[in-house]
Amino acid sequence: MAQRRELIKGSIDSLLLCLIERQPMYGYWIIKELERKSQGYFKFKEGTLYPALHRLEESGLIRGEWQSLPNGRQRRYYRITEKGLRRLVTERGQWQDFLVAMNLIIQPASDRREVEKW
Amino acid sequence: MVTALNNYLDSVKENLRLERSLESEVIQELETHIEDEFQELKEDGLSEEEAANTCLTLLGSAKLLARQIYEAHSQGSWTQALLAAMPHVLFGLLFVVNWWRGIGWLLGLLVLVLSMAVYGWWRGKPAWLFPWLGYSLLPVVAAGLLLLYLPHGWSWVAIVIYLPLALWLLYSITVKTIRRDWLYTSLMLLPVPAIIGWFMAVEPINKLPGYWLQSIEDFAPWIGLTFLAFALTVATFIRLRKRWLRVSVLVVSGLLTLTMITYYTEGRLSLPAFLVLVVVMLLLLLSPALVERTLKHTG
Repeated sequence: MAQRRELIKGSIDSLLLCLIERQPMYGYWIIKELERKSQGYFKFKEGTLYPALHRLEESGLIRGEWQSLPNGRQRRYYRITEKGLRRLVTERGQWQDFLVAMNLIIQPASDRREVEKW
Repeated sequence: MVTALNNYLDSVKENLRLERSLESEVIQELETHIEDEFQELKEDGLSEEEAANTCLTLLGSAKLLARQIYEAHSQGSWTQALLAAMPHVLFGLLFVVNWWRGIGWLLGLLVLVLSMAVYGWWRGKPAWLFPWLGYSLLPVVAAGLLLLYLPHGWSWVAIVIYLPLALWLLYSITVKTIRRDWLYTSLMLLPVPAIIGWFMAVEPINKLPGYWLQSIEDFAPWIGLTFLAFALTVATFIRLRKRWLRVSVLVVSGLLTLTMITYYTEGRLSLPAFLVLVVVMLLLLLSPALVERTLKHTG
């Protein structure tokens, strides 16, 4: 469990950028969507999500905007910025390289031969 | 929303220590989030109490959440760091290039300091304001000291009119600053121990004004250096995110500058005087935290 937490901690920013890239989203929706898309693997707590969102906004990678709802309430939607898109392209490339390298090392010997053949 | 959730939001607000407008945005965002979660849990069949308890478990510690959001916003830009360091740089230059004897420079600096302090105060008290605010209170103290030299029989003016007014002003500004964030009060008071140290080192009491002015001139480069050290401290403070690092930078800077004064004045500041100044420095920099706690408990 602690290992999973560490893995998630290192990839929060990439996960959030990926999700927000598709459409502007608000905090509660992000938590639900991450859980649904990852089939329950990513269960973000608010204490993890909001500091990360605010950090990304401070870095100019996403931008928060208030939107009024028909019932008068307001929600803060986050959308990705140009800077965020550029960061996402870099991070996707890094992830691909990382996954290929991890697979080469971590997979059993028989599977590894298959990967190398490809 | 149920009381427990409102209390949670109050606790987050109490520990955020952000600018007023940003603080209300954070709270509004969390409030909407909690409402969504609370509503969904109730729709899943939980009672109000169960839904509130589940929400609180998912939210985690209010203090931790507030601290993490604070750290996401606390780092000031380089422009803010420069702006915050500016009054120390200007006071440093005043001594380094010997402008302190020119009344024009002094008046110009005074007007600039007061203008920046008033501007920052009405613009939501950003972090860069507080070093300017500290210097803007210097004339208040200086005027009080000058009143002591009024002709005999006129000291009642100081006691009856000036003293209460000055104390009220200092108290009111300090309390408002502590309510914003006690660390900004420490930032505001940062140069005070060093100013007292230099004041003691140049021995203005019972000496001829000429001797006093000559002493200041002799030490002017080192006095300037002290203020430039504060400029560096303040710029570092603004760029740091974590509160404990910010506190450490202020304390280390206070110790270093007092050591500098003792070293460069070659024995004019005795060891007991140095130690007393260190205690004064620690009290000035750290006691605002205690005052903040008292203010919170008294409402």
